[in-house]
Amino acid sequence: MSAFVFATAQYESGDWDSAPLVPSNIIDTIARYTSIDTAPAGAIVPLGSPELFRYPFVYLTGHLPVRFSDAERANARRWVERGGFLFVDDHNHDVDGQFHKTVTEEFARTFGSMTRLPASHPLYCAFFTFEEGPPTTSHELNGWGDNLVHRYLDAVLVGGKIGVLYSNKDYSSEWNYHPQNKRFFAIDNTKFAVNLVVHALTR
Amino acid sequence: MSAAVPLVDTTIPALARVERTGQALLLAVLLRATMASAGVLVAALAMLAAFDVALGLPILIRLLALPLALVAAVAVGLRGWRDGRGARSREQVALWIEERVPALRYALATLADARLQRSAATLELERIVGEVSWTHAVRRAAAGALLAPGALLILSAAVLAALPGASVVRVMRPRPGDVLDAALPLRGRRSVLAPLVATVTPPAYTGRNAVTIEEPVSVAGIAGSEVAFEGRGSASRVRAQLGTDTILARTDGTRWQVRLRMPARALALRLADGTVERLVTIEPYPDSAPVVTLRTPARDSVFRNATGTIPLAADASDDLGLAETRFEYIISSGEMESFTFRTGALQPRVLHGERRAELEASLVLGALSLSPGDVIHIRAVAGDANTVTGPGRGASETRTIRIARRGEYDSVAVEALPSILGDTAALSQRMLIMLAEALERRRPHLARDTVVGASRDIAVDQARLRRRVADIVFMRVGGESSGEESEGDNDANRPTTPEQVLAAAESAASRNLGVPLDFAADESPVIAVNRPLLDAYNAMWEAGRWLEIGEPDDALPHMRAALAAIQRARQAERIYLRGRPPTQVVDLRDARLKGDRALAAASLRFPTAALGAERARLMARLAAAAGLARAAPADASDSLLLVRLDALGLYPAFAGAVGRAAATLRRGADATADILRARDALLGAPRHAGTLPDWGAAP
Repeated sequence: MSAFVFATAQYESGDWDSAPLVPSNIIDTIARYTSIDTAPAGAIVPLGSPELFRYPFVYLTGHLPVRFSDAERANARRWVERGGFLFVDDHNHDVDGQFHKTVTEEFARTFGSMTRLPASHPLYCAFFTFEEGPPTTSHELNGWGDNLVHRYLDAVLVGGKIGVLYSNKDYSSEWNYHPQNKRFFAIDNTKFAVNLVVHALTR
Repeated sequence: MSAAVPLVDTTIPALARVERTGQALLLAVLLRATMASAGVLVAALAMLAAFDVALGLPILIRLLALPLALVAAVAVGLRGWRDGRGARSREQVALWIEERVPALRYALATLADARLQRSAATLELERIVGEVSWTHAVRRAAAGALLAPGALLILSAAVLAALPGASVVRVMRPRPGDVLDAALPLRGRRSVLAPLVATVTPPAYTGRNAVTIEEPVSVAGIAGSEVAFEGRGSASRVRAQLGTDTILARTDGTRWQVRLRMPARALALRLADGTVERLVTIEPYPDSAPVVTLRTPARDSVFRNATGTIPLAADASDDLGLAETRFEYIISSGEMESFTFRTGALQPRVLHGERRAELEASLVLGALSLSPGDVIHIRAVAGDANTVTGPGRGASETRTIRIARRGEYDSVAVEALPSILGDTAALSQRMLIMLAEALERRRPHLARDTVVGASRDIAVDQARLRRRVADIVFMRVGGESSGEESEGDNDANRPTTPEQVLAAAESAASRNLGVPLDFAADESPVIAVNRPLLDAYNAMWEAGRWLEIGEPDDALPHMRAALAAIQRARQAERIYLRGRPPTQVVDLRDARLKGDRALAAASLRFPTAALGAERARLMARLAAAAGLARAAPADASDSLLLVRLDALGLYPAFAGAVGRAAATLRRGADATADILRARDALLGAPRHAGTLPDWGAAP
C-alpha cells in the first residue's frame, strides 16, 4: 500500500501556489494525529495531467480569477467522477472576491451544481467532531474577506459522495504557516484538515 | 355545289340541339363524379367511425385513414370525369343520341360529322333530325347514371349521422388525447385509469406548444412545465402520489384530472384506483444554459504597453432563446496578498428569443487606466429567458491580456514571489492597519481604558511584526538572523533603537556598496541593502509608540507608511522562477502521533462499495422485472419504470432501453428484445473502467 501524498493542483490561470506552506502543515497534522502512512513532502500536480489520477486528494487554492482550460476541465471532471476528492479553498481576502466568483462558475460548468453540506455530514465527524460544521477561521472572525462567517461548506456530490469540496473560509491563510509553529497555538487550528483527508480516503 | 362549306357552325338547328345535349350530358357527368367521390369519402368515414366505436382505433390508423379516404374519393371522382369525357365531343354526343334514338337513322351522326360538306342532301338530313326529339332519352340516361352514387352518398351519410358524434370527430379530426372522447371499447373498462392522457405545457418563456401523450409510461418535459393527467370518471376514485407527496385529483365534468408541476428531479407518479395501479415516471430535463464561444482574441497575450484596441468577437447560442449577451472583463491589479479588482461590461445587448447571436466589440486598452502588471480577463457572457429555474447563464473561455511589468523582459518567466516563507502566524501590516482603523471607528463608543487596552494589543502585534522585519534586515546586512529583541540574546553590540538599526544598516550598505554579498548557489544575489524595509521598520516603531499610549489615530499614518515601504521592498527584489516553489519536507518521525488525540472521536467507517456495485444492483432489478414479464406484465412494467427512474442520471442509455421495455409491456406486447437491449446497454459499455489506484487508507 503506497503512502498518502498531499497534492496541490496546479492550474494554468491565477496563482495556484498562493499558500505554499499549507501542504507541509497538513502533512505534519496528519502525522501528528493519525497513523496514516504519509509521504513527508507534498506533490504538485497539473490539473490537466493524467498524473492527477495518482492522487486521491488534491488541494486547490488561489487569489486570482480562475479559468480552467478545456484539458483541465475534462481531466478534472473524469478524475472526480472516478472518485477523486478535490478540496478547493478561496484564498482571496478581498471583499469582491474574484476567485470565488470565477471558480464557482468554473465548477458549475465542469462538475454541475453544488449543494450545501449540512453540519451533520459525516465529514464533520470523520476524525475530530465539529458539531457546528466547519471550524471558523481567524480571518472570518477578523472580518477579512467578505466580512461573513461562513457556516457551511459547499460540495459537488458524485453518487452521494463528496467529489469537490468548496470553502470560502480561507483555510489557506489560516493554515499557511510552518508546522513547527503549531507549538505556539493553544488549539491546533489544522485539525479539520485531518477530517478532510480521512473522509476523502474512507468515504 | 360549287364550294365546299363544312357544317361546323351551330346555326343549323340540329347541331345546336346536339350542342345543348352535350352540355347537359357534361353536367350530368360532373354531378355523377362528384356524388361518387363524396359517397366514397362519407362511406369511408362511416366505416372508420363504426370501427372506432367497436374497437377504439389508434390515432395512427385514424391519422392515416382520413388522407387515404380522401385519395380514394378523388380517384373515384377523376375516374368518373374521365369516363364522361365523350360529352365534350359533338360527334360522340351525336352517336350517343343515335344509340338511344333509332328513329334518327344516323342522320344526326352524319350531320355532326365535321367532314360533311354542305349539299342538297343535308337539307333532308336536317328534316329527319328535326322530326325526332331525344330529350326523354337524355333525361332517363342521366337519372340512371346519378342513381348509384346518390344512393351511396345518402346511405353513408345516414350511417354517419347515426354513429356517436365523438367518434366521427375522432375520425375526422384526430388529435393526441382524444382517446378520452372515444366510445367505450367493446371489452369495457376495469378502471378510471384507462384510458389515460397526459398533457405537458412548457413554461411560457419557451414559446413551445403543449404536448399530449396518450397512455403515458413516462412523461418528459422541461423543468417547470405543467403536467396534467386526465381520465374518464370520478376524481373520488383516483389517488395520486408523486414521490412521497400526495396530489389531490379534481373532477372536471365527466373526467378526473391530476395536475402537477414538473419537479426538479425524476420521480414516479403513482396513480391508483382501488386495487388497480399505474406508474408513470416524471422526467424533467433542464433548460440548457447558452453556449458561448469566444472567437477573438484567440489566445492569451502580453502587451508591453497599455495602448491599442483589441477586437472582441464571440458567438452565442441557446436551445430555446437568448435574452442578453455582453462581454465582461475583470482587471486584476497587485500581487502577493494585495489585489484589487475592477469589473466592467462591453456591448450589452438585449435579445428577444433568438437562438443564435454574434457579439462584437472593441476593448480600448488606453481607456482602462492600466498599470504594468495588470491583467485583463475577458470573456463573453449570454443569458437565456428562463424565468422558472434560471436565468441560465453561459460564459465563454476566458482570455487574459497582461500588461508587462517594467524590466520583465530582462529575464524570462519571472513572477512575484508568493507569501513570505517562514512563520506567517503574525498578523500582516495590512491586517494591523485594518484592526487599528476598526478600533478608531469604534473609539467614540468605547471607554478610554478599553481603547488603550485594544490599542496595546495591536501594539504587541505591531512589535512582533517589527521584529520580523528587523530579522530580515539583519539577515541581509550581517548574513544571519538576529532579531532586535531575541530572547536570551545579550549581545551588547546589538542595535536596540531604530536609529541604531538604521545606522548599522547604513554602515553595512556603504561598506558593501556595489559589491554583491555572499549568497547560496540557488539564491538570487543581494547587491544592496533593502532601504524600503528599513523605512518600514522605522515607521513601525513610530506606530508602536502611538499604539502603546492608546492613540491608534496617530499611529495609522505610520502604519500605512510601513505598509507602503513593505510593498516597495517586495517589488524591488523578490523574484522567483514560477512553478518551482520550495519543497518543504516534514519530519514525520518527529511529528508522528504527537498531537492531542483526546478529542478525536472518529465515527465508524465502513468500506465503500466498489464503483460497479450500482450497476450490479440495477442488473439484478432488471432480471427480477424480466422474470415477472410473462406472469404479470403490468407489475413488470412498473418495476422497470422504477429501475429506469434510478438509472436516469447514471446510465441514460440503459434507462432509455428500460423505458422502451416498460412501454412495450404496458402495450401487452413481448418485451424480450427490449429487455435484452437494456441488458446490453448496462453491461456492454462499462462507465468506470479499470480499478481504483492504491491510495492508502485510514488507520
